[in-house]
Amino acid sequence: MNLVKTMKGKMLISLIAVSVASVIYFTFLVVNINAAEQPRTFLTHSGALIQTTGDILDPVGYAGKPLEFNPDEYMREFSYGRVSKLPDGTTLREFTIIAEDDKIMEISPGVFFNVWIYNGTVPGPTIRATEGDLVRVKFINNGQMPHTIHFHGIHKSEMDGVFESVGQGGGQFTYEFVAGPVGVHPYHCHVMPLEEHISRGLYGVYIVDPKEGRPPADEMVMTLNGFDTDFDTENNFYAANTIPFYYQHHPIQINANELIRVYVVNMLEFDQINNLHLHGNLFDYYPTGTSRLPSIYTDVVTFSQGERGIMEFNYAYPGKYLFHAHKTEFAEKGWTGLFLVKDSVESKEYGEK
Amino acid sequence: MEEIKKASKAKLVVSGIIPILILAGMIGYIFGPGSALLDFGTPLPEITIEKIEFLDSKIVATVRNTGPIDVEVVQADVNDRIQPAAIEPDKNLTRFETAKVIIPFQWNNAEPYEIGLTLSDGTRFAKSVDAAAHAPEQSLELVAYFAVIGTYVGIIPVMIGLLWFPFIARMSKNKYKFFLALTAGLLLFLGIDAIEEGLGISSENFAGAFNGTLLVTTVVVISFLGLYYTSEKLVNRYATSTMAKPVVIALMISIGIGLHNLGEGLAIGAAIGLGAIALSKFLIVGFTIHNTTEGLAIAAPMARVKPMIGKLAAMGMIAGTPAIFGAWIGGFIYSPFTAVVFLSIGAGAIFQVVVSIIKWIRQDGEKTLSNAAVVSGIAVGMLVMYLTSILV
Repeated sequence: MNLVKTMKGKMLISLIAVSVASVIYFTFLVVNINAAEQPRTFLTHSGALIQTTGDILDPVGYAGKPLEFNPDEYMREFSYGRVSKLPDGTTLREFTIIAEDDKIMEISPGVFFNVWIYNGTVPGPTIRATEGDLVRVKFINNGQMPHTIHFHGIHKSEMDGVFESVGQGGGQFTYEFVAGPVGVHPYHCHVMPLEEHISRGLYGVYIVDPKEGRPPADEMVMTLNGFDTDFDTENNFYAANTIPFYYQHHPIQINANELIRVYVVNMLEFDQINNLHLHGNLFDYYPTGTSRLPSIYTDVVTFSQGERGIMEFNYAYPGKYLFHAHKTEFAEKGWTGLFLVKDSVESKEYGEK
Repeated sequence: MEEIKKASKAKLVVSGIIPILILAGMIGYIFGPGSALLDFGTPLPEITIEKIEFLDSKIVATVRNTGPIDVEVVQADVNDRIQPAAIEPDKNLTRFETAKVIIPFQWNNAEPYEIGLTLSDGTRFAKSVDAAAHAPEQSLELVAYFAVIGTYVGIIPVMIGLLWFPFIARMSKNKYKFFLALTAGLLLFLGIDAIEEGLGISSENFAGAFNGTLLVTTVVVISFLGLYYTSEKLVNRYATSTMAKPVVIALMISIGIGLHNLGEGLAIGAAIGLGAIALSKFLIVGFTIHNTTEGLAIAAPMARVKPMIGKLAAMGMIAGTPAIFGAWIGGFIYSPFTAVVFLSIGAGAIFQVVVSIIKWIRQDGEKTLSNAAVVSGIAVGMLVMYLTSILV
């Protein structure tokens, strides 16, 4: 056969070569080219061992560079504002909150999402005042669309952050109201489409302390939230304080026999309910933190959107204790954490700054 | 004279190269200084999970980057619940690159699962499995098992079909035509079936990047043309001998059927390899029945020459054994891409066989196909296949 010599033959051969090569290319690319490499072993948070020559995908055992947002810092950081006294003796607390909506934040290891933020983070700063203080919040909108701040609480209509939308590109508005009632409240943007403005991250916690104060305790804030990163109106990630599984990897260190007070605010969008279950213990629960008497002594509390309250408890025994959404779907998508209860009882200082 | 010839040849080469240079320049401009010109819209990442295997206490998903940009896989989930996992060779996938995601997971037999992967921008891609079943271990035993299955669906039925040879050989001319047309009808049905299957797999498993429909069309046409060309060459070469011509046609038919059986073997191997055991039993029974008719197609052209048992048996092997190779490929290195390509090659091969048979009918003295025997033969062939496809 002189197949190779004729033009037709050459064309036929090249045709066959191209088709064979393309089939081989797509078929055999699957083969692991690193087969010779020594596999490494990883222990995952589920207890399973993984041996691999490749990369590990584990939101808990993440050992990369620290995330931009640190839930540990956020949790115990209370913003009391710039404090001064008015002539009549009232305490004035002045805050500045800047909104932005073009920031890309690593909301879970390796997952980058365009969050909308108050003062650079989701959630925004925890605003804290005492009942009767005058709160003045200077709001600057550096975003690309209108935003507001709507504080829950008692105030005048024009301070509600609903009808006076603050324009993009540096628009300003000053919210002013008397702190009250006592309790824990959310604040959030109230521009339409509301669900988007909230779920993207424009929210924070606002605490009003009673004039006489609360008993000394180790205090922390837990904002229950989530992110819908693929815009299908379902959350892809859930967490207490933004980063999925963070406290499972970095347990919250507390002392045994010490009063723990957690300000819990549910800012989760899309899902109708959220809840919190504490292991190895029960807690006093004060809905909205408005009453001095707990409504229940329990280990599960359920929140609808915007619901919040104060939990008070102390651990008798040292060790590791889980806390997580008893809506287990959320737990498995990041809303899981640990308390590490330590034996040592060190004296600690509490109170207002 | 010589120089003029040289100069004109140089001109020819230059005229051939100039358009390529202009094209290269234009592409270079778009990717280089002119990139701002086309900078509209945001390219969206896309990955396709091509294969999910259930092994001891783990699930292995094969994923391919089928989008326009490089991606980073950052998270795996089972039934939309985040799971720790490993990804090999690494989590960064360039265009068309594949990786294996290994998820330690205690799965339950015969239950449905959805495996999801999340990229660095938070988009999640998922694929579901109707019923989890343990993927067979890749052992020598399995190699032998696939060989037995291949023999069962490929070689044995074709051989059984060849046993009709004496029956066809003694038949009147019109009845013989009917049987030839019947095989053409059967094969036409199989060819369309293979294309449908190929389109189905491509639409379920391929991302837009692969142009599934066009891949099927292209491969079918190339397969058809390649076999048609070879067949014509061989037939013309041996056309002088009236004895050899039917043999050559039968040989081409058996090669075409062999390519088709490769695709069938692939489908069976893949069904077993992916743990779809019930499906593969269905496939085996279905193919065994279908393939008996293929023996008939090989025997038919040979029916007018003196019986050559050895040659017939050899052709039966050519037509049947590829089922074994198909089962191996499907069971061990299955990817939807291979499946679609082989199914399309098989379809093209089958259509070439149909053309050969029809030509054979016409050469046998029939100038048109509007003969009652021929028309009814094709119709009955297709109907029989349709009915068996419902029953099995």
